[in-house]
Amino acid sequence: MKKLTDLRFIIGIFFSLCGLILLLCYFLSSQNNHPEMNLYAGGLMFLFGLVMLLLFYKGDVENA
Amino acid sequence: MQLSFPDYLIISLYFIVVLSVGFMIKYKIKTTNDFLMSSRSVPLWITSLAFISANLGAQEVIGMAASGAKYGIMTSHFYWLGAIPAMVFLGIFMMPFYYGSRARSVPEYLALRFDDKTRSLNAVAFAFMTVFSSGISLYALALLLKIILGWSFEFSVFTAAGIVLVYTFLGGLTSAVYNEVLQFFLIVLGIAPVVFIGLHEAGGWEGVAKNLPQSMVHTWKNMGSASDNAMGVNWWSMAMGLGFVLSFGYWCTDFLVVQRAMIARSMSAAQRTPIIASFPKMMMPFIVIFPGLIAMALTNAGSDFSLPLKPDGRTDFDMALPSLIAHYYPSGLLGVGVTALLASFMSGMAGNVTAFNTVFTFDIYQAYIKKNGTDQHYLMVGKMATVFGILASIGTAYLTSGFNNLNDFLQLVFSFVNAPLFATFALGMFWKRTTGHGAFWGLLLGTLLAAVFHGITLSEGDKGGWLGGPVYVFQSAMGQAFAVATVAWIGCFIITILISLVTRPKEEKELVGLVYSLTPKLKESKSPVAIAIVMIVLGLILNLIFF
Repeated sequence: MKKLTDLRFIIGIFFSLCGLILLLCYFLSSQNNHPEMNLYAGGLMFLFGLVMLLLFYKGDVENA
Repeated sequence: MQLSFPDYLIISLYFIVVLSVGFMIKYKIKTTNDFLMSSRSVPLWITSLAFISANLGAQEVIGMAASGAKYGIMTSHFYWLGAIPAMVFLGIFMMPFYYGSRARSVPEYLALRFDDKTRSLNAVAFAFMTVFSSGISLYALALLLKIILGWSFEFSVFTAAGIVLVYTFLGGLTSAVYNEVLQFFLIVLGIAPVVFIGLHEAGGWEGVAKNLPQSMVHTWKNMGSASDNAMGVNWWSMAMGLGFVLSFGYWCTDFLVVQRAMIARSMSAAQRTPIIASFPKMMMPFIVIFPGLIAMALTNAGSDFSLPLKPDGRTDFDMALPSLIAHYYPSGLLGVGVTALLASFMSGMAGNVTAFNTVFTFDIYQAYIKKNGTDQHYLMVGKMATVFGILASIGTAYLTSGFNNLNDFLQLVFSFVNAPLFATFALGMFWKRTTGHGAFWGLLLGTLLAAVFHGITLSEGDKGGWLGGPVYVFQSAMGQAFAVATVAWIGCFIITILISLVTRPKEEKELVGLVYSLTPKLKESKSPVAIAIVMIVLGLILNLIFF
């Protein structure tokens, strides 16, 4: 059974949300200070979060 | 530095997640073993990342960037010369005794191998050091947040301490370890962009190297003499003082980090924990030291970024990383960067508090105050020790803010205590003749010797020399610290041998599983030796690249 206390789930949710916030910052606001970094870092965090969530769904309970 | 709504949103999200971890783990905590030892059931990937994250506190993240700005890439010796070999040694040679003896803490191993007085000496010194380290970390956090965000000292101290208290009190060591892994990824992903932007702005590594003195971009080239490099240390002092004594002393005997390997599911996993952790560890200079080099190079190049100055006009190296983040990060990523800094402080604090509560409960309370209590009683004591650890940390933070030199003084005392410890463990594990009396007096006199040596030598005008006219003047405080550590180690080593030779050792049957020559060698299907060799080779390659 998949548990919410699985660390992969916790990390996955956190970084997916962080990534989303950064991507929204890039698309919705106009900033002068290296705005492209929100896109790169946000995309990377979002992807990392998704990978952790995928590992959570596919992985075994032993590694939770 | 001005934070906006997205930044606060990310900081709030982080606080919610770390607190949620505590509330979710709470239901798994039924016994003392669950609370203080995570039931020895934590998967390898988590123990490995927690192993380095417990050390990824304020001193590491802020301090190494500052050191990178001040001394350059030579700072990487703390990793490629010090940490990597020590972590591999711990995994191959020492974990079999820590884990195999079923000791619940490093001081408890000392009790099994030597006697109770050696255990008490180590336990009391360790408990004192962890609480004070945690307090210093809290003080540094509050100071940093006051400077970069304008938050009040009280607000920063009580918010950070309160959050750490909630999740460690509810979920114990498991909660701390889970958050340490989250914090590890946050620190890496939150700080890596500053290296990316900084290198881009500086014109790549070539641009950085062009704008720094030649001695700052080589690890070994300028170490023939202490006067040839900014650190003021020669190759022998670096290799012996840092590479051997201090690094092995810290990574192989400090319960704060060793505890993360001791909660692995099996002996094989416990051995592989520090070895696997050595890979991300050897990459950390690119995250924590490079920002310092970049900040210095950009300042020298006359770019629109420059390192801030202290009120007395000197460069404020401690602000290298925070000022880069403030200067280059857009809103949103700025929130991630600030959260990464917060995470580093909280990770260090939680690591100290969870190590403190274990040592207090098992090695002080159960050993000397109440030997035959129920498990629920010790669980309650463990939780109370957690609360006490946090309160004492807050007290230390206030004490440090009131006495300017307290931080320096405590760091000095810690180095006296830590330096000889590896000699005690090395002799205890590899020489069956070592006795409890030898270990105890070796540790005590080794520490005293370190203090005396510091008192009769001098560096930087006012460091040391408190016992009268200096017999030797060092090029730098760091060179002096390495020499003090070496003297303490050699003193402890010799004294332990001499006293052991004239006192009675334990029976051999009592030492099975505690000493190398008396412990049967297990044939394991997953030997850590191959991966250990790979890590050592990678470490050597990094040394050669930046030679």
